[in-house]
Amino acid sequence: MTNPLYRDTAVVLRTYKLGEADRIVVLLTEHHGKVRAVAKGVRKTMSKFGARLEPLSHVRLLMYQGRELDIVSQAESVDTLAPLVSDLDHLTNGLALVEAVDQMALDREPAPHLYRMLVGALRTVAERSGPLVVPAFYWKLLASEGVRPELDECVRCGAEDPLVAFDVAEGGVLCRSCRSGASLSPDALAVMRMILGGRLNEALDLPASPITHEVAAHANRALEHHLERRLRTVAMFESH
Amino acid sequence: MAAYTTPVQVLIDELGRLPGIGPKSAQRIAFHLLKVPADDVARLAHALTEAKAKVRFCARCWNIADDELCPICADERRDPTTVCVVEEARDIVAIERTGEFRGRYHVLLGAMSPLEGIGPEQLKVKELFARIEPEGITEVILCTNPNTEGEVTAMYLARMLQPFGVRITRIASGLPVGGDLEYADELTLGRALEGRRDLSA
Repeated sequence: MTNPLYRDTAVVLRTYKLGEADRIVVLLTEHHGKVRAVAKGVRKTMSKFGARLEPLSHVRLLMYQGRELDIVSQAESVDTLAPLVSDLDHLTNGLALVEAVDQMALDREPAPHLYRMLVGALRTVAERSGPLVVPAFYWKLLASEGVRPELDECVRCGAEDPLVAFDVAEGGVLCRSCRSGASLSPDALAVMRMILGGRLNEALDLPASPITHEVAAHANRALEHHLERRLRTVAMFESH
Repeated sequence: MAAYTTPVQVLIDELGRLPGIGPKSAQRIAFHLLKVPADDVARLAHALTEAKAKVRFCARCWNIADDELCPICADERRDPTTVCVVEEARDIVAIERTGEFRGRYHVLLGAMSPLEGIGPEQLKVKELFARIEPEGITEVILCTNPNTEGEVTAMYLARMLQPFGVRITRIASGLPVGGDLEYADELTLGRALEGRRDLSA
């Protein structure tokens, strides 16, 4: 490596306190995958970074490559953070997205597709707070990881009707005779087909109902099964 | 690689467990302590055990105290109707230094962090709600840190405090005195503009 300085755009996934006034920021960059970097002095009131390196920020960065941790040298906002952090629902939805992406992304493994998906989803979150914004992103995320759930026919016998259950371990829906996993209502199945079948906007406009709740529960279970760990943001706000 | 005799090594290990103190700093402090008179060391040891034994949380506001109530809660002259909610007892010291606030405090002992799974149950949130009516509180100032965790906490508290019918305020965000506008981030500058003041009056 000749030049340790590099430029990239990134979304801040999360931050950890480091020492007295520094922070470690976990970034999903467009070209360098997930990168951990030190932002020196960000916790001081007079820091040149200010709010630019808070979670959910979309920033253009000048970075200095280190051995373990890189160093953030300069940061400039791409999208304004205000609509995301000024509303509790927007903020928790946004945090639910970055938590999932943080678990999914690999260190220094370029994932421009994941980056673009996250940026798009965060822009959606900034504008609307429907009940399916986060679950829809989870389904899309799973599909992009190559574990798109089978929604058209029973994963075991291939029957097309009636599909009454959804099993995360089997990776799709099941008919009445093969049923296992959680039960699935026909309405929820229709919404899931909407999300994964190119009618996303229609699904995002749906008002909160037992159906959207069911779709959200299936999405959380499926993603947790794939990541093999609990999603904390989801667990925290389910209880309220 | 135990190069030191046991008591010294134990001392270095214990010092090394303190925040911000690495093995080298621990070594330097240990050797400094071995060099100074025994009285000085005894005074330090006494200060440590004394602080640990006497200090506890204020029964009302969860500030650190050496009695049932902290000095601020015990002070009759302070306005009991205004409560300033902060994350840590350290923040009280910072606010007290301004000399601008004459009410009481409430320490949450942390902030909500969805990413780390810290929810309202782990904080002194219920204790805050329980204070509103008995103390006749009319205004709650949300003084959590202006970062993501602090904002989540403030917005959550604002939502939960709505039914109590008290005035809920959030400290303003703005530019630090002595800073350059050019280096201000958009969010801070935007909020500073939003909260601008009339000078014409």
